[in-house]
Amino acid sequence: MNTEEMRSGLDACVHCGFCLPACPTYLALDDENDSPRGRLVLMRALLDGQVAPDDPDVAKHLDQCLGCRGCETACPSGVPYGRLLEGTRERQRAQAPLPFVARLVLAVFAREWLLRPALAVARIARGLGLARLATRVAPHALRMPAAMLATTARKAVAEYSPRGDGSRGRTALLTGCVMEGLLPALNRASERVLAENDFQIVEAKGQVCCGALHAHAGDTGTARDLARRNIAAFEASGAEFVAMNSAGCGAMCREYGQLLAQDPAWAARAAAFSAKVRDVSELLAVAGPKPTTPDATHPTLVAWDAPCHLQHAQRVVDPPLQLLRAIGDVRLVPLVDSAQCCGSAGIYGLVQPEVASRVLAPKLARIHESGARVVATANPGCLMQIGSGLLLEGSTVQARHPVELLDAAYARARQTD
Amino acid sequence: MVRDASGGLRIRGAGTWMHVGAPVIASQELHLDAFAGVRRYTPGDLTISVGAATTLAELDVTTRAQGQWCPLLPWGDDRGTIGATLATATTGPFAEALGRPRDLVLGVECVDGRGRIVRAGGRVVKNVAGFDLTRLMIGSWGTLGVITEVHLRLRARPSADVTLMVEGAASEAMRRFVHGALPPLAALPLGEGIARTLGHAGPGSWLLRLGGNAEQVAAARAALARLGACLELAPESWDIVRRELAPEPRAASWPWTPLMQRVRAAFDPRGVLNPGLLAERAA
Amino acid sequence: MADAALPVESLAAELGAIVGARHVLTRPSTLLAYESDALPGYHKRPRLAVFPGSQDELVAVVRRLAKDGLPFVARGAGTGLSGGALADDAVLIGVQRLRRIIAIDAEARTATVEPGVVNATLTRAAAAFGLHYAPDPSSQAACTLGGNVAENAGGPHCLKYGVTLNHVLRAHVVLPDGELVTLDRGDQGGYDLLGAFVGSEGCFGIATELTLKLTPNPEAVLTMLADFTSVAAAAEATSRMIAAGIVPAALELMDQATIRAVEESIYAAGYPIDAAAVLLVEVDGPRAGLEADANAVSEICRAAGAREVKRASDAAAREKLWQGRKKAFGAMGRVAPHLVVQDAVVPRTQLAALLNDIASIGERHGVRVCNVFHAGDGNLHPNIPYDANDADESARVHAAMQQIMTRCIDAGGTITGEHGVGLDKLPYMERLFTADTLDAMCTLRETFDPARRANPGKVVPLHSCREWNGLPALRGGASS
Repeated sequence: MNTEEMRSGLDACVHCGFCLPACPTYLALDDENDSPRGRLVLMRALLDGQVAPDDPDVAKHLDQCLGCRGCETACPSGVPYGRLLEGTRERQRAQAPLPFVARLVLAVFAREWLLRPALAVARIARGLGLARLATRVAPHALRMPAAMLATTARKAVAEYSPRGDGSRGRTALLTGCVMEGLLPALNRASERVLAENDFQIVEAKGQVCCGALHAHAGDTGTARDLARRNIAAFEASGAEFVAMNSAGCGAMCREYGQLLAQDPAWAARAAAFSAKVRDVSELLAVAGPKPTTPDATHPTLVAWDAPCHLQHAQRVVDPPLQLLRAIGDVRLVPLVDSAQCCGSAGIYGLVQPEVASRVLAPKLARIHESGARVVATANPGCLMQIGSGLLLEGSTVQARHPVELLDAAYARARQTD
Repeated sequence: MVRDASGGLRIRGAGTWMHVGAPVIASQELHLDAFAGVRRYTPGDLTISVGAATTLAELDVTTRAQGQWCPLLPWGDDRGTIGATLATATTGPFAEALGRPRDLVLGVECVDGRGRIVRAGGRVVKNVAGFDLTRLMIGSWGTLGVITEVHLRLRARPSADVTLMVEGAASEAMRRFVHGALPPLAALPLGEGIARTLGHAGPGSWLLRLGGNAEQVAAARAALARLGACLELAPESWDIVRRELAPEPRAASWPWTPLMQRVRAAFDPRGVLNPGLLAERAA
Repeated sequence: MADAALPVESLAAELGAIVGARHVLTRPSTLLAYESDALPGYHKRPRLAVFPGSQDELVAVVRRLAKDGLPFVARGAGTGLSGGALADDAVLIGVQRLRRIIAIDAEARTATVEPGVVNATLTRAAAAFGLHYAPDPSSQAACTLGGNVAENAGGPHCLKYGVTLNHVLRAHVVLPDGELVTLDRGDQGGYDLLGAFVGSEGCFGIATELTLKLTPNPEAVLTMLADFTSVAAAAEATSRMIAAGIVPAALELMDQATIRAVEESIYAAGYPIDAAAVLLVEVDGPRAGLEADANAVSEICRAAGAREVKRASDAAAREKLWQGRKKAFGAMGRVAPHLVVQDAVVPRTQLAALLNDIASIGERHGVRVCNVFHAGDGNLHPNIPYDANDADESARVHAAMQQIMTRCIDAGGTITGEHGVGLDKLPYMERLFTADTLDAMCTLRETFDPARRANPGKVVPLHSCREWNGLPALRGGASS
């Protein structure tokens, strides 16, 4: 974002304060500096040179933003908060580098040859039960990451051959870095339910991490590199739709058009790519999706947690609920503040563990109040954040992706056929 | 009763306070007769400005002609003045549904104990400009200032207005009705004495006033008919009730807190307004 | 003043010992966010900001400040529109951490809350009992009840249900000198000091605990949108409705400029963008007879020239119509970077004439006036979007506003119906009230705060107070 764009984005704020109750960090920290309105004031002060670019307090409050963009769907005057935040972080990075942990994580995610082995080690640790063990015996700071890892474990599901006719168009799944590394079962489930609902699944070879983590941290250069590689990979696949089962990646991929708008060679290709991006739930909602027979005797109480990057960034609200309603033995129970951030936010949990857990606390409380046995959410970060919170509490409530629930229902239906 | 004396409250002071701002310490009756009558009435605004000595009866006649009313209907009778009603913050059986003096007054003009002519509030129905001297004067028994003119919020009279005596209803059922979806304008459990005065001597009887549009009142009547025997009475029954059941004036139990003493001292530093009325010596 | 000698750091350390160091801010960069409330264009730097986490901490903070005679300003969510929460070198006391709902008594229909509880949060909590908190300022999703009480806040549904004043039953207040008092309406005798406190804009002390009236949810609600080809016709319909004695739960007017800003926003409500004005009318109450009221409203609107009167089909449609109205002020940010917001009230028979005059004042000064307001109360909100960096435009906007306000005062109206005087409307006070009346207001303030340390420089111009003339202005004090 150039200075002009930044300024006009900031000018849209009339300081009404309607964003305050929509901001999870304001609610957790009680300081307006940790609210959208307060952070916009800080962004403007940075832009105007009213505060030093390396002012530690300013950096702290901007870093404490989850980037959930819950404020954007509360803002009457349409302040482009997410873009302003990224623009500000980009400027900050020019002044001061990120903390070491953050730089390390981002570097690994940008390099397949580092990421694959790293995730493989993580899988082995998880397989040996080390992650679950660490949630109890590891130093405090490591328990949350360990729990996050442990919560990605999945039992093998009964597989089935989808019966769709492929008539709804060629579709390639962004398999994603974390998803394919830690939750490959979820990717396979996504492919199966899409195929079952008449989408033709094709593979997009050469795809990489979407770059969301880098963009959010202000490393726009790396984000652009990753975007170009993905655009090329999906173009080559001939897919009409780019399917997303991770809300964070979906939001990023929809913004490739803006990210590369200044790059003459890529602007049009990026815009065309972004226009093809759909959340899995959106594709399924268009398709129906095929319902499964209700199991009146054993309904599962499911609460829907709307991931920020689905609800606020992509404004996809209803399709996941349609998907869940198609599952015969799911009974949806309302989750208060469903659209409020759980505190996951990419690598936030690693850099701001304390704030992340303060933000998570009310989410867990609402989940328990809802009486749900399963909390459904559609983003790997949220699955791990909420899942780990539940695990550390010793709760038996499980965090699952809606697609996993639908896939399991299809598999069960097939067994009774 | 204070209201009966309200043509001239026992405001003691001298006539000079109106103009020069220097109260004379002398025992004198201050008569407010000059401050009677309607000053400004725009029915379309549902507001009226009247002199403090205007009687409730005159207010009622004037507004009734336009299908409106000032629904204070305080305990006591309509020979009392609006000024006294406000100075004593006297409520009535309709207060819960239609408002207390503090809810229905938009502004007052008064002369405080320092001789200042204070024009507090205004004539419009919503106003937060400045500190609220209006609420301060209401219920101050003339000990902070002498109210000379008041601006009131009026309401349209309900198109259907029915007074019913309900006999033989269980009190819990009546309580549920009163707090239910069809709340009455007033609901009063009647003792045997007043019931007899109204000409109906059933034990456990209630007097209710229903107001609203025809359908609402019909629905409320139907609901009440299921609870007990209903008998329609003339609306004037309420005048009798207001006269007969008036409670003791609250001035007798005035709680002097240090803050209230400071307020009194600030607005009437010489103690010329109704001195002794609120037993301030004892405080 | 004695306070000048005390270094900020040592005061901060002492306050930090009371509330926790994390909850005291002293660095300029962390005070930036607290330099303004929701009144655009005004910035005042607090000396420091402190955020007590309990009633006891709040009282201790006030007592500590009293010890050194330091001025302070209470702040809730900073959603006020008159600059009432601006602290010019005073200590800013934020109450947003005091957000316990202490009790809800469903039988008595009351709630006891701390001042930092958000308005909409109380209604949400009361919903389980079929109750709600009736005053519903447009900022209700964010604003605090303590702030509502300080400003005597209104809102669309105050037309039928009354303003904040009518819904406060008791307040525990810490006076500026640290004394604790309990204020009530005087139902059992005693001056109505609660009535004086509500709307005192933080000048009389800080409420530590409030007991509020809760209102039963109506059995049925009907919401209508009437669409007019002229603002005058919509105003005329309003005047006729009031004169006919219909009391809608709410009666709101939005003109075309406002409609367009809302329709471009995330809160697009489906208002007709070619309408010159719309009226949003809601009737509520018992199901019996409600249809008759709604029909009467429709007929009056049509007779006054409405093209169409639509009804919200269900609760979701109703909510959408309301969200558009409630977020209209924020949506103005789309029109221009800055905004002047006014809050005058005029007699309801004069609405059409006043709106006409306001439009011509706007034209004369070459500024765009957007109207969105509580028509049923005659409570106008003429808003003028503009660019404060354009000196010429700013001058024209302020000249136009001054004329609009003068016109409203001359019509027998007032300068603020619900936003408060704050800093923004100080210049109009002497036009509205006599010198005697302003002096009496000063007397009232001094009984609560003899040193005038609470929210200095607000509400009443300092020079209006005879006893204060000749005394040196406080630090952070007003214009004189």
